[in-house]
Amino acid sequence: MKAPSAPSAPDAVRIPARRPRSRRARVALAWKAAAVAALLLFTLFPTYWMISSAFDGRASGGAQSLFPAEPTLENFSYVLSEAGFGTFLRNSAIVAVSTVVLSGILALFAAVAVARFRFRFRTGILMLILIIQMVPLEALVIPLFIQVRDLQLLNSFLGLIIVYVAFSLPFAIWMLRGFVAAVPVELEEAAYIDGASWGRMFWSVLLPLVAPGLVATSVFAFIIAWNEFIFALTFMDSPATYTVAVGLQQFFGENSNEWGYVMAGSTLITLPVMIFFILVQRRLSGGLVSGAVKG
Amino acid sequence: MASARPWLLLAPALAVLAVLLLWPLARVVLISFQDYGLREIVSGRSNYIGLANYAEVFADPALWTVVLPNTVGFAVAAVGGTVILGTLVALLLASLNRLWRTIVSSAVMVAWAMPAVTGTYVWIWIFDADRGIVSQFLQGVGLLDEPHNWFTDRWSFYAVVLVNIVHHGFPFVAITVLAGLLGVSKEMLEAATVDGAGAVRRFFSITFPTLRPVFAVVVILSTIWDFKVFAQIYLQPGGSGSNRSVFNLGVWSYVESFAQNRYGFGSAIAVLLTVLLLAISVVYVRTLFKEEK
Repeated sequence: MKAPSAPSAPDAVRIPARRPRSRRARVALAWKAAAVAALLLFTLFPTYWMISSAFDGRASGGAQSLFPAEPTLENFSYVLSEAGFGTFLRNSAIVAVSTVVLSGILALFAAVAVARFRFRFRTGILMLILIIQMVPLEALVIPLFIQVRDLQLLNSFLGLIIVYVAFSLPFAIWMLRGFVAAVPVELEEAAYIDGASWGRMFWSVLLPLVAPGLVATSVFAFIIAWNEFIFALTFMDSPATYTVAVGLQQFFGENSNEWGYVMAGSTLITLPVMIFFILVQRRLSGGLVSGAVKG
Repeated sequence: MASARPWLLLAPALAVLAVLLLWPLARVVLISFQDYGLREIVSGRSNYIGLANYAEVFADPALWTVVLPNTVGFAVAAVGGTVILGTLVALLLASLNRLWRTIVSSAVMVAWAMPAVTGTYVWIWIFDADRGIVSQFLQGVGLLDEPHNWFTDRWSFYAVVLVNIVHHGFPFVAITVLAGLLGVSKEMLEAATVDGAGAVRRFFSITFPTLRPVFAVVVILSTIWDFKVFAQIYLQPGGSGSNRSVFNLGVWSYVESFAQNRYGFGSAIAVLLTVLLLAISVVYVRTLFKEEK
C-alpha cells in the first residue's frame, strides 16, 4: 500500500492528484469515500431529522417523508406561543448566564492562585480539584435536593444556579490554570516596576491576556447549565420555572407524542449550543488534551 | 499579606466546592445509613438504621439480574463502541486532505454539540413504534410486518441507548485522539513502512504506544460517563420507572428516591455507584501507569 491509503500520514493525500492510479490505490480510495459518506450520514442525520421534522406540518399528525412534505413554521409558533416555550428559553438563559458569570469569576481567581502562587497545600488543592471531577454528580442529587429544599430554594433559579456553578468550577479552574500559566511572568513584573498594585496588574495585564481562555470556559459553563437535566427535573416542579431541558417533556401527552412540537422545541434548544460549541471547540479540545498530556 | 493572597483568591471557589460537592458527598453516605423518607425530610431529624439499606440492596435479586448487568454490560459496550469508532474516525480524519478534514470534523462537531436531552428525543423519534422512520423503513422493505415497539424489550431498549451514547460520545474520542496523532513521529512511521509494516502493525507498534496517555484519559472518562448514564435512559419510554427491567444504578437510585420517597435506600444505591466509579478510576490509572514503567 502506498501513501494514499496510509492512515496516519496527514496531508500526504491529495484526492484529485496523480491520474494514473494503481488498482489497489483506487480500491482504497473507494473504501475511504464510503467511510466518509457513512460517517457524514451517521453524524448529521439526527440533526437533519430534528430540523426537518420541526418544519414539517405532518410530523405531528401522520406519516413523514425524508423531506418536509408541507414546510411550515406552525410547529415553532405553537411551541413558542401556546406551549410557553418562550418562558422556558428565558428561564434557561437566566440560569445559564448567571452560572457563566459566577463560575467565571470564581474560577479565574482560583486559577490565578494555583498558577501564580507557591503556597502550602497547593498540590493538595490541585489533586482535590482533579478528584472532585470524578465524583458522579448524579449521586449527589439526593443530598443536594434536601439541602436546597432546607434553604427553601426549590423552584427558584438561585438554587439551580449555585449547583451549576459548583459543577462547572472544577473543570473551569483546571482549564483556566493553563491559560494563566501561559501568560509570561515578565509582563506582570513589568507592571509592578511601572508602579502598578497587584489589583491594577490583575485588571490591566492578566485579565486581557486570559480573556480568550475565559471565553472558552464560559461557553463550557453555559453548555453545562443549558443542557443539564436531572437537577432541573428534581428542583423545578412548576412550568413557570422549567428550563428548556425539562420543559420539552410536556409535549409527551398521554395519547400521542406531538413529534412536530417536540422537534421544534429541540431545534430551539440545540441551535444556540451548536453555534457556541463550534465557535470554541478548538480551544476546548486543546484544553482537554493539554490537561491529559501534562497530567 | 502576600502569603494570604492565594488563599483569599481560592476561598470563594473552595467554599462553593465544599458546600455543594464535598458536604453532599459526605451527606449521601450519612443518609444511606438511615431510613430516610418524607417524614425525615420534613422534620430534618435523622433516623439511623445501620447497614439495613445496604443489606436490602445486596439482597435484592434485581441488583444481580437486572441493574448491575445493565450498568456494567452497557458501560462495556458503550466504552468499546465509542473508543473504537472514535479512534477509527481519528485515523480517517488524519488521512484526509485539508478540505475533507474540515468538512468531516465539522460534521463530527455537530454530533458532539447535540445536547443529551434533545439528542435522546431525536433518537426516540427515529425509533418511534408507529411513525418512526426506522419502523416505517423496515415495514417498507418488508422486514417488519407490523409496527414494532423497540422500547419494551430490554435488549432493544439498550440498543437504542447505545446508538445514542456512541453518537454523542465518539466525537470527544475522535478529536482528542486526532490531536494526539498529529504528535506521532512521522519518521518512525515512515521507517516502519520502509521495513514493510502494514497499517495495522504500524498502529499497534507505534501509534498506540505513543498515544497511551491519551487513550488512558479517553477510556477513563468514557467509562465514568457511560456508567452513570441517566437522561438517555430516563427519558426513553418506560425508562422513568414503569419498566423495571431497564434500570441501571443511577435510574434505580433516582426512582427509589423521588418516586418512592425512599431517600435512604436510594442513597445506598448512589453510594454503590460512586464507589464503583472511584474503584474503576483507581484500577485504570494504576494499570496504565504500571505498564508505562
